[in-house]
Amino acid sequence: MTRDLAGDDTAVVCPSRLHRSGATAGLPSSAADTIGQANRGTRETNLDRPLTRWPDPWRVAVIALATLILCSCRGPSQRACDVSPLPGPQQAGLPPQAYAAAQPIDGAWSPPGIARPWPRDEYLRDGGDEGLPAGVIGTQWEIFGLEPADTVAHFDTLDGRTIVEPSNKVHIYSPRFGAVRKIDSLASNDGYERVVGVHLPTVIAGPTSTQLVTSSKQNLQADRQIGSKSAGVYRTRWGDGIMATTNRPREYEQDMFLPYENVKVIREGIIDAAEMAHLAAGATAAIAWTADQAVQVILDEQAAMSATADEKLQSVYVVKAPPGDPRLRVIKVADKQDAQPGEEVAFTIRFDNIGNQLIGNVTIIDNLTTRLEFVPDSGQCSVDAQFFTEPNEGDSLVVRCEIVDPLEPGEGGVIRFRCVVR
Amino acid sequence: MVHKLRCMNTKELLNERRVATRLAIALLLILTIASATPAQESGVHYWHQGAMPPGAIGSRQLQRGGPLPGFFQPVEIKAPPGVLVSLAVGEGFDEPQPVPLRVGMLIGKVYRLRVMNIPLHPGMEVFPTVEIIDRLYAPPDRQQRFAIPIQLTQEELQFAMQGKFVTRVIYLEDPRNALPARGDPNAQNWFEAGPGRDPLAVADALGRPVAILRLGARLPDDKQLSDPHFLFGSPPWLKYPPATAVPAPPAASVEPAAPVEGEPAP
Repeated sequence: MTRDLAGDDTAVVCPSRLHRSGATAGLPSSAADTIGQANRGTRETNLDRPLTRWPDPWRVAVIALATLILCSCRGPSQRACDVSPLPGPQQAGLPPQAYAAAQPIDGAWSPPGIARPWPRDEYLRDGGDEGLPAGVIGTQWEIFGLEPADTVAHFDTLDGRTIVEPSNKVHIYSPRFGAVRKIDSLASNDGYERVVGVHLPTVIAGPTSTQLVTSSKQNLQADRQIGSKSAGVYRTRWGDGIMATTNRPREYEQDMFLPYENVKVIREGIIDAAEMAHLAAGATAAIAWTADQAVQVILDEQAAMSATADEKLQSVYVVKAPPGDPRLRVIKVADKQDAQPGEEVAFTIRFDNIGNQLIGNVTIIDNLTTRLEFVPDSGQCSVDAQFFTEPNEGDSLVVRCEIVDPLEPGEGGVIRFRCVVR
Repeated sequence: MVHKLRCMNTKELLNERRVATRLAIALLLILTIASATPAQESGVHYWHQGAMPPGAIGSRQLQRGGPLPGFFQPVEIKAPPGVLVSLAVGEGFDEPQPVPLRVGMLIGKVYRLRVMNIPLHPGMEVFPTVEIIDRLYAPPDRQQRFAIPIQLTQEELQFAMQGKFVTRVIYLEDPRNALPARGDPNAQNWFEAGPGRDPLAVADALGRPVAILRLGARLPDDKQLSDPHFLFGSPPWLKYPPATAVPAPPAASVEPAAPVEGEPAP
C-alpha cells in the first residue's frame, strides 16, 4: 500500500504518512487489502488535486488555540448566571445566618500584601511627604514638591545647607459620600419583565485524586530563642561630651497638654517603649504599629539594638553619631482616629533637634488636604514662632510655622492647631 | 498515473513543529493570565449601567471576591422630618419607623422600602429600592458610626409621585479629589447626571459607588404588596439604634476687633 501511494522511488516519505500507513500492520492480510482498496480509491481522487492540508503541528496548534479560546471566553451574560435579582419566595423570612456563607469579616481588613490603612479612599491622610520629595531652593526658602496633605520641616545648618525632613503620616478614618442623580420620565406605563439570567450549575467533570503523603519531614524544635529588643529609652546626647538636657515646652497660653498628647515623646522629646502603643494610636490612627510608619528610635537610620540570649547579654551595638550631623525629628499626632464631616480635629507636631549641632530657621509646613479646613487663630507653639497661612491648590491652606530662635542640640517644641473636617 | 507525494522533509517539519509548539505555549500563557484578571479587576463598573435591573450590579460585585458575602453594611436612611419608613419582612412590611433609620443590609441584595407620611402629600406612599453594591472597612466598633447615607429628599419623593423614575448612585468620595466644600454635615453633595450619561459611570469617575437608590415609576396594587418578586424576597436586615446627629460646628464668626490702645472698648 505504501508503494502504491508513493509510487516513485525518489519520493520522500513523510514520517507521519508512514505512521498512518502502519495502522493496518496488525490486521489480517485480507482485511488490510480491503481497507487498502477502499483507501486507494479515495487517495487517488484526492491526489488528483494539490495537497492543501496543513501539516500536523499546525493543525494541533490551531485546535489547541480554538480550545483555549472557547474555554477562556465568558460573556457578560454568562458572568451574570448567578444573578438572582428576583429571589424566590422560599428565601423570605430566613434568618440572617442563612445568608452568611462564610464568617463575614468585620472591621478593618486589607487584602493580603497590602499595608493598612486600606482602602485609602476612606482615610484622610495628613503628614509625610508623598509623591515628589519636597525641597527648598533659593534664598527665600521657596519650597517645591509639597503636595496636599504633606507635612515637612526645613532648617538651615551651620555649613549653609538647607535640609528638609518630613513628618510621620497621620490617618483619620473619615469617609465622605456623594451622590449622582438621574431622573427619567416614562413615555409609557406598559412594561414587561424578562429573565435576566438562569441558574446553570456546573457539573463535576471528573473525580479529583488525592495523593497520599509518601514522606514526612521531622520538624526540629529550636533549642533557644534569639530575639532582638529595641532600646527602651533613648536619651543619649553625648555628642559634645556634655549631656544636653531636653527642654520641656513651656506652658501654653490656654491650657496644658491635652490627653492625647500625654506621652513622653511629646512632653519631653524622649521615646519610651512602654508608650509606643499609645503613641501609635495618635500617630497613625487606627492602624497597627508598622515599622515603616511608626516613630522609632532612629540614630543615623539605625535603630539601637541589643541582642539578648537566654540568660546573658551577648553583644551591645553602640551607634556613634559623627560630628557635624544636623538632624530634626518631626512627630505628628491627632486627637481623633476617626471623624465625621463637620467635626474638629486637633493636630500636634513635636519637633526636636536630635543632631549634634545648632540649627536655625526651623520652619514647619503643613499643606492641608482638601477636606481639612484650618480653624483661624488656632495655631500655638511652645517656643517663639510666627504662623502664616496661604491658600493651596486644594482650596485649603498651607500652615507655615517659623521658629524664631535657633535650636540647640536637644531642644525642641510643640505646635498645635485645629482643623474642621469638610 | 504516478503521483509524487508533496511532503516536507524532516528538517522543515521539525522547524514547523517547534514554531507551532512555541506558539501554543505562548497562547496558553496569555490566556491563562487573561483568565485570572477578572478576580483582580478594579472596582470600576465598566460592564454595568445604572439602568440595569435591581440586584444585577450587586450580584456581580459579589463575584469579584473579597469579604463581601454575609456582611451587613450599616446604612442610614434619611428623609424629611416626619417621614416613616418600613422595610420588607416576609410577605409584607415591618412597622413604620421614624427617620433617620439605621439598619444593616447585605451586599448584593435588594431591599424594598415603604415610605409614607410624606410632608404635603398625605396618604401617598412611595416604594423605593436600595441596593448595596460595596462595603466600608471601618475600624472595629466604628461600623455603625460610619454608615452609608441613603437620602430621600423631598424633591425626589415628589418626582417619584409624579411618575418619574429617580436613580441615585451613592458613592464614596476619593479624598484626593474631594470637593473642597464645607456644607451641611447632614446633607449630601450630589450631582445631576447629564442627558445620555450613565449615573453609575459618573459616580465611578468621582469615587467608589457603594449603593443605588431607585424610586418611582411603579405603583403596586394590593396584591403586589405581598408579592415576593416585588419585595425581592425580603432579604434579612438588622436594625441598629439611631445615631446621634453630628452637631454642626459654629461658623467662622467675625471676631470683634480688639480695642485700639488708647480708645475705649465698645
